[in-house]
Amino acid sequence: MMSTEDKKETSESKPAAKPSPAAKEVELPQFEKGIADKIVGKFGEVTQISFVKPDRVGINVKKENVHQVAEFIRDELNFDHAESVSGVDYPQDKEIEVVYHLGSYTDPTLAKQVIALATRAPREENPIPGKDATRLPTLRDIFYSVEFYEREVFEMLGVYFDGHPDNRRLLLPEDWADLPPLRKDFAIKGR
Amino acid sequence: MSVIAPKFKFSEFVKSILDNLFWAILLLSLIGIPLTQIILFYIEMPVINGELLTPFLALTWIADPSRTLPIIKAFMTTDLFRIAAFPGFGFAALLAAGTIFVERKMLAKLQLRVGPFYCGKIEGILQLMGDGLKLISKEIIIPAKADKPIFWAAPVIFVGAAAAFVALIPVAPGWVVADVDVGLLAVFAVIGFFPIITILSSWSANSKFPFIGGIRALHQMVSFEIPLILSLLGVVILTGTLNLSEIAASQSSFPWIIFLPIGAIVFFITMLAELERIPFDLPEAESEIVAGWLTEFSGMMYGLVQLGTYLKLYAFAALFVVLFLGGWNGPMIWPPFPEEIITKGIEAGPITVMIPGLPVFSQEMINGVIWFVLKTVGVIFFILLPRGVFPRIRIDMLLSLGWYKLIGLAFVNIFIALGLLYAGVLGPGGIL
Amino acid sequence: MTAELPPGLALQKVDERIMTLNVGPQHPGSGHMRIIVQIDGDFIVACDPDPGYVHRGEEKMAEYRNYITNIPHLERPVIHDSCNVLYPYVLGAEELLGIEVPERAKYIRVIASELNRCIYTMYWLAIYGIFLGHSTMFMWPAGDREFLIDLMEKMSGARVTHAHFVPGGVRNDLPPNFEDVCLRQVNYFEKRIKEYGAVFYDNPILISRTEKTGVLSRQDAIRLGTTGSVLRASGVDYDLRKKEPYDVYDELDFQTNVLKEGDSYARSKVPWLDMMESCRIIRHALEKMPKSGSVRVKLKPNPKGAIDSVYKRVESGRGSLGCYIVSDKKPEPYRVKLSVGSFRNLIALPYLLKGEKLGNMPSVYWSLNYWPVEADR
Repeated sequence: MMSTEDKKETSESKPAAKPSPAAKEVELPQFEKGIADKIVGKFGEVTQISFVKPDRVGINVKKENVHQVAEFIRDELNFDHAESVSGVDYPQDKEIEVVYHLGSYTDPTLAKQVIALATRAPREENPIPGKDATRLPTLRDIFYSVEFYEREVFEMLGVYFDGHPDNRRLLLPEDWADLPPLRKDFAIKGR
Repeated sequence: MSVIAPKFKFSEFVKSILDNLFWAILLLSLIGIPLTQIILFYIEMPVINGELLTPFLALTWIADPSRTLPIIKAFMTTDLFRIAAFPGFGFAALLAAGTIFVERKMLAKLQLRVGPFYCGKIEGILQLMGDGLKLISKEIIIPAKADKPIFWAAPVIFVGAAAAFVALIPVAPGWVVADVDVGLLAVFAVIGFFPIITILSSWSANSKFPFIGGIRALHQMVSFEIPLILSLLGVVILTGTLNLSEIAASQSSFPWIIFLPIGAIVFFITMLAELERIPFDLPEAESEIVAGWLTEFSGMMYGLVQLGTYLKLYAFAALFVVLFLGGWNGPMIWPPFPEEIITKGIEAGPITVMIPGLPVFSQEMINGVIWFVLKTVGVIFFILLPRGVFPRIRIDMLLSLGWYKLIGLAFVNIFIALGLLYAGVLGPGGIL
Repeated sequence: MTAELPPGLALQKVDERIMTLNVGPQHPGSGHMRIIVQIDGDFIVACDPDPGYVHRGEEKMAEYRNYITNIPHLERPVIHDSCNVLYPYVLGAEELLGIEVPERAKYIRVIASELNRCIYTMYWLAIYGIFLGHSTMFMWPAGDREFLIDLMEKMSGARVTHAHFVPGGVRNDLPPNFEDVCLRQVNYFEKRIKEYGAVFYDNPILISRTEKTGVLSRQDAIRLGTTGSVLRASGVDYDLRKKEPYDVYDELDFQTNVLKEGDSYARSKVPWLDMMESCRIIRHALEKMPKSGSVRVKLKPNPKGAIDSVYKRVESGRGSLGCYIVSDKKPEPYRVKLSVGSFRNLIALPYLLKGEKLGNMPSVYWSLNYWPVEADR
């Protein structure tokens, strides 16, 4: 198991670059900035705003706090469902990012808004899905709709979700014994 | 465009025909005629023109044309002919085949399609034959853990039961395979076989979907048999007989549907359910339980079940006609057989041909068969029609329909019949 | 669960009363998926959907192809709705590559995507009809689709897999007199689908059979994160064409159809009503479309995306369809994630089927507007 506690310094070298809010403060849309500020105001240094674009807010959270932040987003900001959960593999950072895209049906003012809540799990070179350090707390008890998405991320990237009631395979065959296929080191034959 | 026979030679063609003819004559004379003689020796022969037909005389129709028709007529009175050909199995199978064709074409027209089109040049009329050949040539697969004897027997018994049902239907005066005094009771008894066959076959297949389908069929058939029997009691009360021929004959002036419309409607609905037709085809609901109790049948076993189903369909439609629409009764539309052909013979120029044994069928019989077939085809049409219009209903809705609504309506029908009887309007000694 | 079993497998206790049915993957009522249904008598006690039989790894494939060559294979999840499946990807690629789309192309895209929505919905409706045993409702929509498929063939050259949308517009301009043909076909099509009401939606047996079955309340529809027609049948007025108008939807005149019941009947009715709205949109778009002009911005060969990530979503025939693209300054996207409506609605299936009768399984399952191939990607 790798120690990945001190990996936050390397976040500058991520491919999905996060232009800091200060860089283009001139163009930031007001409403989305308000949402981002509310989250940062509540959690401070724990959260990090990755981008603020029209209708989209990106927030990076460490995996210890993701549950707390998600609960705040649901209860205080009225985002009531998850649209999508995507796992992205970053081998050079030795991390796997899981992005929750959260939206709102109940609040008409938030209908256009999507919060991309990103968190990162440590990545193993030789993964044993479910039994290694690649773990994240589940958000299923907060957003019910992530249930199948988290199952998909587990089988496709090997991120085990602690507390998820049903961590079985979903799309892959039951006897799949190779690497989780969406990791970058799983190469397609002939490419 | 490819040529069908590129190496065609006319002389070869003639030679092949002559070859075949030679072998046919040889085999007929060496095997066919002795075999016929042996068979005829064991059959009870009729009396023709005052003399008992011997096996030798039976073949004299080839030499003496005046004997042909009497021998054919004598053959037509035998049980074998009645069971196998005319009022029995063959006639019913022919109507059933016609039903399948009409069903396909009609449904296709309803759904803006073409339906069978290529097989047989004219509107795909030979499609059924093609399907039958395909089913015969297919492999029969039996599930590994099936109860084989019962599984094998089920389609055969199914066809047998359907044929037994057909045998009870009177087609024209005197033309019925089994003229039973308790004909209607016999019909109920035969109908009672179908759920048992269904549940046996589905249980013996040892598979889940047939099992569910069989249970559904059992529920459906048993719960619809009660309104079916009750809805027919009105007719029995008014005619005072269970004999189907007498019931049909009793409607010479008016059919019972005029007085018992509720009974006719209830019987029609229960008929749809007994036949597992849409909207009551739950035992074969393909989106829920694959093909229900037919799931494990393959090849000709499936074909036999389908044959039995359509025989059953014909029999139910015919029963409806006999009980409610007056059976063979109808205005005389068939012209009488010209007397002078019988008395004087056919004059063709210088020679006069006398044909003894004419007419083969009486005028009443032909007229009765025409009316019977017309009415049956009409009823079959109404049985087929819901398939293009309705979706399938659910088992709980079906059961509540059967137990609550139809049984109640059937009782209403019985009370109407009793009222008519005690008011003296109809029935034995009535004013009509 | 014992320790030796791989994470995909689990041992199960078998109850004598409970019968487990594998509905699918080879079953006339399942599509390309398996629903493991446990029944007690006629009642479903548990249901476990098992998709993945048509998983094609579109997301993995997208990491190996550049922004243009991704187009033909990313529309495969739903070939009947191929324009709408491609739409969010194209929108996202445009934002990453920094392209502005010509006005005429936007209108053509809207027309194409509405035509595709109708084509998809007709296919879905056909299967819904046959799932309920209504064979006429299977044949009619399957035949009437042809009008629109012919239109799409005129427009893009292909009958189902159009690959018509490209970053920067559409692949080619409309053929001459397309507007007239389109108007005529769409008008006839609208007349035809109105007839479906008489034969199908007003059918008393259908109503008594699907009403009050599989009821999804408003709260549950939101909590489960359902989308599209399922959401709108439960009384949530959420249509991305209205709420987050992309391309020119904000200039067009239409309304969203919202029903309150949340049962199978309402869920099956919303797509049908949506088709009529689609006809309105197409007519309006044909009217407002600029009659001439460029339809495509020329791209550089092998364009490279900015270092960024975008999440774009459109309203497809099955609901919100999101595409999350991560780009890392290479010709190929770093990660493409399709977040599809079918996959999101699937979560409602076990929830709705619990306690239902087995006979309601096909109607509830297919009323979720679920497309197995899309969910598997």
